[in-house]
Amino acid sequence: MSKRERDEHTLAGPYAMDAISGPDRARFERHLAGCGECAREVASLREATSRLAAATAISPPPELKERVMAAAAATRQQPPAAEPRAVGRRWHARRRVRIRLVLAVAAAAVAVVAVLFGVNNGVMRDQLNHDQASSQQVAAVLTARDATMKTGTVRGGGTVTIVMSHSMRQLVFTAADLRGLPAAGRYELWLAGPAGDRPVTMIPASHHGMAGPVVASGLRPGDHLVLTAEPSGGTSRPTTPIMFDVIL
Amino acid sequence: MARGDADAFDFLYDQVAASVFGIVRRVVRDPAQSEEVTQDVLLEVWRNAAKFDAERGSATAWVTTLAHRRAVDRVRSVQKEADRERRIATAVIPYDEVAEAVEANLERERVRRCLGSLTELQRESVTLAYYGGYTYNQVASLLGVPDGTVKTRMRDALIRLRDCLGVSE
Repeated sequence: MSKRERDEHTLAGPYAMDAISGPDRARFERHLAGCGECAREVASLREATSRLAAATAISPPPELKERVMAAAAATRQQPPAAEPRAVGRRWHARRRVRIRLVLAVAAAAVAVVAVLFGVNNGVMRDQLNHDQASSQQVAAVLTARDATMKTGTVRGGGTVTIVMSHSMRQLVFTAADLRGLPAAGRYELWLAGPAGDRPVTMIPASHHGMAGPVVASGLRPGDHLVLTAEPSGGTSRPTTPIMFDVIL
Repeated sequence: MARGDADAFDFLYDQVAASVFGIVRRVVRDPAQSEEVTQDVLLEVWRNAAKFDAERGSATAWVTTLAHRRAVDRVRSVQKEADRERRIATAVIPYDEVAEAVEANLERERVRRCLGSLTELQRESVTLAYYGGYTYNQVASLLGVPDGTVKTRMRDALIRLRDCLGVSE
């Protein structure tokens, strides 16, 4: 590596933080295009800066979501960058790629949940083992070939996202912005249908506005997924009005 | 837009909007402009979702990198010098004393701890550059050290942060 190349390479740090002026940026990008190792280093540094960003997380005003969703509905998506061999499969590929992005974000959320529990592993070994097992279970459902996604609104506030695999007869449930319950209350998830009503699990308290992910197994044809608010110890059948109900 | 696309984007929004808004707000500071930039970033994610390549990094890094780039572009194009002087004062506030209602969470605590493990020059370089939106040349003159020193300290600092945060390469 020449001295000039070494000098270029030290720009990886400023570049990963956008701490670089226009001409320097262009010069470094030319250097990156011909240096696979440098591109990999920049990518790994950006995983670190991404955590600096996550540490500033703050919920945007709720109206912003309405504006963004409305604007997206009126905005065409770009096709993927055309690769010579893939031209014939472009539309098929496009859908696959988009689903992959959503799943990648979902998997990252699962990893964060695992990390959050990992912090307490001295005192919560059993809980940790349970959570690690469940995060693998979650990943298995999210990446299932027949995974489909549904979202819905919770009566009283919040949105629910379900990713379901019929072949695995499992689903992953997450909720955002659920209304806080009194200290003795917890949200409880149920499966209800021809096979009978059965409790799935208590939903853990929200972290950072997100509750879950939790996995429901043993789905049967005709089942509904139901959410209620119950005493924190759980009950054997729902005792409060249904806050969310979806036919699976 | 197809129903499945809307559901997918809805989910994506819930997962990334707080990080996007957080970093944009931190760099741009003005609330109204921050909302504008956040909206632009999320629409760009929607438009270019097909260009995301998992081989080249995580989805969250892809989204936050875009958000940071757009936030920096906005302050560099809009803000006047006088304004930037004021921003220096805010960028150097210790990380855990920012008055804004940043939601407390373990992730934030972890990042704070890892920033604390850097040398002072490394930490100031990262904070001014990433949260303050300054170029490495500007950081160098603010801190009164040579450009080359700041450049290498920034790279060393990010490598150390990456290792401390347990980021997979």
